[in-house]
Amino acid sequence: GAAAEPLEEDEEGDDELDDEAPEELTFASAQAEAREEERRVRETVLRDKTLLKEKRKRREELFIEQKVRGKLLPDTILAQLTTASQTDIKKSPGKLKEVNLQKKSEECEKGSNTKKVKVQKVQSVSQKSYVALRLKDQDLRDSRQQAAKAFIHDSLYGPGTKRTTDSFLLVNKFLSLDNKRSPVKKAAAQFLNNAWGVQRKQNAKRFKRRWMVRK
Amino acid sequence: MGEFKVHRVRFFNYVPPGIRCVAYNNQSNRLAVSRTDGTVEIYNLSANYFQEKFFPGHESRATEALCWAEGQRLFSAGLNGEILEYDLQALNIKYAMDAFGGPIWSMIASPSGSQLLVGCEDGSVKLFQITPDKIQFERNFDPQKSRVLSLSWHPSGTHIAAGSIDYISVFDVKSGSAIHKMIVDRQYMGVSKRKCIVWGVAFLSDGTVISVDSAGKVQFWDSATGTLVKSHLIANADVQSIAVADQEDSFVVGTAEGTVFHFQLVSVTSNSTEKQWVRTKPFQHHTHDVRTVAHSPTALISGGTDTHLVIRPLMEKVEVKNYDAALRKITFPHRRLISCSRKRQLLLFQFAHHLELWRLGSTAATGKNGDILPLSKNADHLLHLKTKGPENIICSSISPCGSWIAYSTASRVFLYRLNYEHDNISLQRISKMPAFLRSALQILFSEDSTKLFVASNQGSLHIIRLLEGSFKHLHTFQPQSGTVEAMCLLAVSPDGNWLAASGTSAGVHVYNVKHLKLHCTVPAYNFPVTALAIAPNTNNLVIAHSDQQVFEYSIPDKQYTEWSRNVQKQGFHHLWLQRDTPITHISFHPKRPMHILLHDAYMFCIIDKSLPLPNDKTVLYNPLPPTNESDVFRRRTGHAFKISKIYKPLLFMDLLDEGTLVAVERPLDDIIAQLPPPIKKKKFGT
Repeated sequence: GAAAEPLEEDEEGDDELDDEAPEELTFASAQAEAREEERRVRETVLRDKTLLKEKRKRREELFIEQKVRGKLLPDTILAQLTTASQTDIKKSPGKLKEVNLQKKSEECEKGSNTKKVKVQKVQSVSQKSYVALRLKDQDLRDSRQQAAKAFIHDSLYGPGTKRTTDSFLLVNKFLSLDNKRSPVKKAAAQFLNNAWGVQRKQNAKRFKRRWMVRK
Repeated sequence: MGEFKVHRVRFFNYVPPGIRCVAYNNQSNRLAVSRTDGTVEIYNLSANYFQEKFFPGHESRATEALCWAEGQRLFSAGLNGEILEYDLQALNIKYAMDAFGGPIWSMIASPSGSQLLVGCEDGSVKLFQITPDKIQFERNFDPQKSRVLSLSWHPSGTHIAAGSIDYISVFDVKSGSAIHKMIVDRQYMGVSKRKCIVWGVAFLSDGTVISVDSAGKVQFWDSATGTLVKSHLIANADVQSIAVADQEDSFVVGTAEGTVFHFQLVSVTSNSTEKQWVRTKPFQHHTHDVRTVAHSPTALISGGTDTHLVIRPLMEKVEVKNYDAALRKITFPHRRLISCSRKRQLLLFQFAHHLELWRLGSTAATGKNGDILPLSKNADHLLHLKTKGPENIICSSISPCGSWIAYSTASRVFLYRLNYEHDNISLQRISKMPAFLRSALQILFSEDSTKLFVASNQGSLHIIRLLEGSFKHLHTFQPQSGTVEAMCLLAVSPDGNWLAASGTSAGVHVYNVKHLKLHCTVPAYNFPVTALAIAPNTNNLVIAHSDQQVFEYSIPDKQYTEWSRNVQKQGFHHLWLQRDTPITHISFHPKRPMHILLHDAYMFCIIDKSLPLPNDKTVLYNPLPPTNESDVFRRRTGHAFKISKIYKPLLFMDLLDEGTLVAVERPLDDIIAQLPPPIKKKKFGT
């Protein structure tokens, strides 16, 4: 629960409601508790975000690396291809269509994501077949799933929704129930905010004093 | 009865996952429930609302839709973009088919049950044909601008309503084109910046489309003209789900504030034929968002973020006003998540993705009845074992000596050897598990910890002998005849000779472990088994069923025991039969053969077979009478069922030794404290 022991504080304005007023707890302690909770939640969200960022960064770097590496290969292959095709044209036109696009879909274990692997076989001059792999990443799928989850989270828990992150109402309910169930029945717990209307309270006090003096 | 010291354990931090979807099947009276972690559970509503089967969850599976199709086939779809079909006999997932539309938000089956329609993130609505062994993509409907969050099929199969963000579309099924686009107001009689999300739609036979949205409105639309007929503002927060009864005379909606509203079609005046939809009853059984509702012919079913499954029978639909018409709230699991090593006083807790091993604390103090003794040594968290991979843990067990831990996911079984040196504990994984052990529904160690019994989801039972650092496969019992009715439960006799297995329609099978053959089969009973145990020395098999019947069957004699026959003749006390949580564990006292210890979520009971049985007029729950009462009074009120409700809610209760019990409780408040935040509600006096 929130505050360990309910503090019995005598407040000026509540004398007449002594028997019926609900128990008073300082708003400050409960507010501090709620702030702690919020901070913790914020921290976990931040941590998750940074983790995701790092992941994305690493992937980006990998792509850049692959791109650079990838740029080198096609040139050499193209050179070989052009020479190869030129020689092949002389030999047999039918064999030009040797570029096979084999779609090999890997069947992974049940429960893991499936990857589609496109294997492209290329005939070269030296009759060695090169295999160029292109992985259709899970990234697009993952990012869409993340976007969908973010949408749901925003719609239900995002800004504009009237959620209570502090468990004020639940804690209040339990404290009040405990008071009612104890052998000696006590009043329900109520969280007070003493910081409101300070000016108005002061004005009221001054008015009361002046009014008493006039009388 | 005896005096016991009770270890009261509250450090099992069990938080059930929230309920995301429910789907009711009228033919078999079963309810499929999917949770936020991807678990799908099947409840048999005729068998006292018992959870008979479940499919474990998976980290990447966020189910958003669940539906039954023709022939008792169950499909689910989620944010990973795949449609899954579940095999209810083999208890595994048949296949996963990618819909290629991005995350799937909604899925419904056609009224004929032969087609599936999915609504995707990219705005596409895709139609699939259900073939005998798979599903096949047929065609796309007109693509929409924003994600399709809800779908409903007209009972004749000709039109479809699709709810999206800020609008609802009506499609003609044959052509696949959108006929109407009905714009939804963002706020009831006002302006709002927040987009209006249409969380649910329902299509009635007369052409009315009912929509529920995030502004808290329930709206009635005329699909022929594409216009709004009536608007009800029922909540200050989202209305997240809607379900219509088959007769179309009532429907139920669930709101984010936890309220469930019942709407009924009533006549305008007592003798007019004109009818209108009126909001009749509010139910406040939930504290958090009610993300899904279902309407069976006699009850309203709701579930949501607060993890309770609530089934509220409607009084006007119930024929006999007996205990069957009471509210059912299913909160705690219907199976055991905790196993115990008595010798070392260890408890193994099963979570979705990890296991925790704890050693119980000890006390040197003594006291009298009701005293709380201070701990001289606190409970120790010995091990936190995380599972590899995204799959949830199905079952787990620790051997009675505490040296072996085994658990299973949907694809693998893991076995670990534990070594205890002074106060240190070391773990060693047995790496080469046999290939045929793909996935286990239940794992059990023999009493002397030399054998491991595994019930696989193909129906076979494997016996494995455990050696110092490895194992040896001893035998496999092939699946017997009969259909799979529930998850398999296992029990082994303390002398290691007998193995009992439940779960099929044929009854409970008893195998002779020494001779490796089937010994006998307990006659089939029409309610599933909830707990199973074999008593020491007498080798009596005690079986608890979901209708709260308890049977005692003598394995050597191959017949029910005398005591069991007497109980059946007399019948159980009506209060015993009206308990609404199943018995999940049965155990015995080593020195008192006449005692059977069993428990459910709200009570534990020691049955003393030597005492007379209570009849309906006796008081069932009789606490210990004060010592100054006369012996006559005690004799009059004493009966065989000693029930205690001190420890609740109970997740597990067992006898550690002759004078010690362990009770694992899970107060509901501790679960609620860890749930996502609810909608703020203004309460009087706070």
